[in-house]
Amino acid sequence: MPALKRIEERPTWVRVVELIAFLLAFFVAVKLMGSSIKMLGKEQADALWAGIRNPFAGLCVGILSTVLVQSSSVTTAAIVGLVGEGQISVTLAVPMVMGANIGTSITNTLVALGHMTRSQEFRRAFAGATMHDFFNLIAVVVFLPLELLTGFLSNAAEWLTKPFTALAGGEKFSSPLAEAFKSITQGIQGFVTDTLGATGFWAAVILIVVALVVLFFALMRIARIMRSLMAARFERALNNVLQKSGLIAIVIGMVITASVQSSSITTSLLVPMFGAGILSLEAGFPVTLGANLGTTVTALIASLATSHPAGLTIALVHMLFNLAGILLIYPIPRIRAIPLRLARGLANMAVERRYWVIVYILGVFVVLPLVGILILK
Amino acid sequence: MFKWLQRLDPNSSGLAKMMREFGHMIDDGQHIFDAAANAFLGGTDPEVIRSDLFKTDKRINHTEQKIRREILVHGTVYGATELPVCLKLMSIVKDAERIGDYSKNLFDLAVLTQKSHDDDFYADLVELKDRISAMLRKATSIYGSQDGDQARAFMREGDQLQDHCDEKIEALITSKSGSGEKAATALAYRYFKRVLAHSINIISSVVMPLDQLDYLDEDKRTRLGDQGSK
Repeated sequence: MPALKRIEERPTWVRVVELIAFLLAFFVAVKLMGSSIKMLGKEQADALWAGIRNPFAGLCVGILSTVLVQSSSVTTAAIVGLVGEGQISVTLAVPMVMGANIGTSITNTLVALGHMTRSQEFRRAFAGATMHDFFNLIAVVVFLPLELLTGFLSNAAEWLTKPFTALAGGEKFSSPLAEAFKSITQGIQGFVTDTLGATGFWAAVILIVVALVVLFFALMRIARIMRSLMAARFERALNNVLQKSGLIAIVIGMVITASVQSSSITTSLLVPMFGAGILSLEAGFPVTLGANLGTTVTALIASLATSHPAGLTIALVHMLFNLAGILLIYPIPRIRAIPLRLARGLANMAVERRYWVIVYILGVFVVLPLVGILILK
Repeated sequence: MFKWLQRLDPNSSGLAKMMREFGHMIDDGQHIFDAAANAFLGGTDPEVIRSDLFKTDKRINHTEQKIRREILVHGTVYGATELPVCLKLMSIVKDAERIGDYSKNLFDLAVLTQKSHDDDFYADLVELKDRISAMLRKATSIYGSQDGDQARAFMREGDQLQDHCDEKIEALITSKSGSGEKAATALAYRYFKRVLAHSINIISSVVMPLDQLDYLDEDKRTRLGDQGSK
């Protein structure tokens, strides 16, 4: 049997067909995720969600789950699936979505560690990577309490959802895509229960694991195929970033990320440029903000496969949260300088004492969320 | 059906753009060499060409920096598969930049002294300048086409001219004519030789493995024979 060609070497039409196939698999996984939780039964499901009733515990779950799968797209798509199938409320899901934003910023920070043996390069690369972390942390520190007090994000998202709900025939509506995938997910569920003979709790566990694995794999393949299809454009866009900044750079970050369905790919592409010193933190910062906004497209796409408008509402919360973060931090130069200054400070500490790198990564992305879950659940 | 996707073709990547920019660098190198050599050989008043010469040199330097940045972006996006071509390009943009530098040195020499027409070496230097200039003109097209046979012929011609420069330098050093004139002529041959060496190095990238680039003084037969035919 001839060896499979690398993605980049396959004809364009083959990659397009693969892309469509993985996109369909993604929709099926989102739908399957929500409907499989239903099979757990009310008691088990209630016990599962009890842990995230405290919003800060929800935040920690969002961080940790994203760190584990190294993709906020997987986390947010799963959350959209759960909300869209009526398993958890928008209110419970908001902190988890915010946590996903923080969790995803670990990837480019890990990429920056590749420069660790060269001090000056590492200083620049680490600062370039962690400014994304600080932006996300600041946005959560400001907007999570505000959301808990006023519900401004979920209210705005619900308001934005209404026209779509009305257009589609009210609360009972499920999108045409959701209907199309319903029979497929029912088929998979039937296979697990009838053919494999699994029932109740264990059938639900098998299906949830299958949904998560398919979701993860499909998103990874979509990202890889899109990256191979769009590489020449990314290159042109990144060369533009070196010469331009501001709004154009935000748009560039947004478009690249929306294309590959992964903010980590965009922000990680920038790290070697920071390290080499050809991209300043100031010029790269708007690209990371654009990446934050671009990654919300995944949740919006995922909401197409759900049965309830709440799926769209939580996807819009994700988008509005990132938009609000940009509006809070980017327009005023003094505020814009805060995450950059914090990142530079941390990078200086990390260059002088390397253990700060471990303290920071383990502390922010693993220990704090774990302790948070254990204490607050 | 997928016609719009042809725009996503990897062949339209930044590499093609960098190759074009590099071609402009070699063209600029030929321009600056011609200007400086003509000034030294008395064909042009150095002050007339000074501004254009320095502007061209600046453009060469800027293009080198631009290509370096683009190489990093290209390598980041495409990864390891494009690493060899990126490294080769990184090495030869330096050569193109050095052609500009040596031409500038030649111009500095022209400001201090211009070659008199009745000198023994004048006719030889004019002929040498014309051949180097023609070679630089050819370099852009050979690099663009990546034609191995033409590249080897280019390198052979360059090697012969370098040997010729060495012979002339030796003759100048051992001759008994005036020392100031002699030094200037020797330096001119030296600069001509360096321009040749860097242009050979650029074209050697068509046929030579990456690790052999820049070894301009190695055994020429090895470069053109065993290794070059790989």
